[in-house]
Amino acid sequence: MIHLFNVYKSFGSKNPALIDVSLTVDKGEFVFITGPSGAGKTTLLKIIFCAERPSSGHALVNGRNLNRISDRELALLRRRIGVVFQDFKLLPRRNVFENVALALEIMGFPLSMIRKKVHQTLRYLGLATKEGYYPPQLSGGEQQRVAIARAIINNPLILLADEPTGNLDPDLTMEIMALLKEVHIKGTTVIVATHSQELLKDTRRRIVALNKGRIV
Amino acid sequence: MRIALFRYFVRQALANISGNRLVHLIGVGTMAIAFLIFDAFVLIFVNLNHWTEEWGRPLTMSIYFKGTPERIALESIERELLRFPGVTIKRFISKDDAMKTLRRQLGDKAGLLDGLGENPLPASLEIILSRDKTGDLLPYQVKKSLERIDSVDEVQYSQEWIERFQAIMEAIKLVGIIFGGLLFLAALFVITNTIKLTIYSRKDEIEILKLVGATNRFVEIPFLIEGSIQGFLGGSLALIILFVVYITAITRAELRFGFASLDIIFLSPHITLFLLLMSIITGLIGSTVSLGRFFRI
Repeated sequence: MIHLFNVYKSFGSKNPALIDVSLTVDKGEFVFITGPSGAGKTTLLKIIFCAERPSSGHALVNGRNLNRISDRELALLRRRIGVVFQDFKLLPRRNVFENVALALEIMGFPLSMIRKKVHQTLRYLGLATKEGYYPPQLSGGEQQRVAIARAIINNPLILLADEPTGNLDPDLTMEIMALLKEVHIKGTTVIVATHSQELLKDTRRRIVALNKGRIV
Repeated sequence: MRIALFRYFVRQALANISGNRLVHLIGVGTMAIAFLIFDAFVLIFVNLNHWTEEWGRPLTMSIYFKGTPERIALESIERELLRFPGVTIKRFISKDDAMKTLRRQLGDKAGLLDGLGENPLPASLEIILSRDKTGDLLPYQVKKSLERIDSVDEVQYSQEWIERFQAIMEAIKLVGIIFGGLLFLAALFVITNTIKLTIYSRKDEIEILKLVGATNRFVEIPFLIEGSIQGFLGGSLALIILFVVYITAITRAELRFGFASLDIIFLSPHITLFLLLMSIITGLIGSTVSLGRFFRI
């Protein structure tokens, strides 16, 4: 599903964010990417959903070489990848319903179908009463769940979550992790980037550790 | 699918406008000023063109009589005129008719004429020499031949003046096309930058849309619709302001001089529609240029 071959990524003259990273994630896997702040976890996720291109090396996602992908193909690929961003990236001027509906509107679904699917997803995530709220009116945990709702609404092949429990208390952390596991059970490949050792304790999932841009 | 998308685009464009009211208000205002300058220029140009056409179309000749001409004299003049091709007699204006027309033109100042005693205005005959049949020499020949008749006092026509005016108009037209083109480019520049402002204010939104899988076209279309709406509103506002200024100016002129000294026309419905369409297209071009490739993520 995801293949990285000797990927380097540097931003100007700074130390490279990724050095010689090779990684394969199979269909249906649940992988944790861990490491301290600045280890390159976010950059690695950005390479996978093509928000950044490798400085050298190759990245293949769902059979597509990201070095040679057209704008349109990239847009179509991103529709198959759900991303839960560290800073949520919700549109502050659109309410919860509209934020979640975005992923379906992009694909041109009729409004009746969008309404049905959004209601379903919001109910599933316990946000049914919040659909008219705007992101600034929600708590951190609620915003995180809205971001997850938007990421999973069109049953993506891959779900990427960047520090999904970053600012949450232990109860909410468990709740969010349970949600991600449910999505995984439905067949989605899930990659979670986290620096939290607590989250990795007792897990039997595969863990990829990064340090200063290298897989260790 | 397509209808759903189109609805989404229009809804989004309208939501964006109402969500960024101030930015759009500034945008529409700026566009209205740019279009107003351009439209005012078009109005001046249209009027200059209208005047040359009006004055230059058929050549009008006025034959003024000594006193009131007798019927026989008039008939002999008519016979004389029929010798020339392309000559039509428009009307005979008696001394009384001339006075009535002057009184009507002076409106409430007509009282000034009361102290004149005898009517000093001459009776006249207006004739038209159609342009396609009259050569350069003909008006002169007609004039000479008529001036030989006893009852005729004077024959007036203004071809020389018209020809000179037309040459000036040709030059004005050329300058107008260049100046109009430059004004249009200036308006486009202002509009492009105004639209850029609205796009920059929503840079984060564009980024998020792209990250969740929106194609470039999906992101661009609401902006293009917005640009067109802005262009339409700016263009309409400019035309409304121009019309109000036109009406006010005409009314003032009538109040001050008692009658409209010049026949000033407003833009025809066709030109108005064309200018409105051009405003929309300018808004559209402005959005396209502004969007460029700056949001490629």
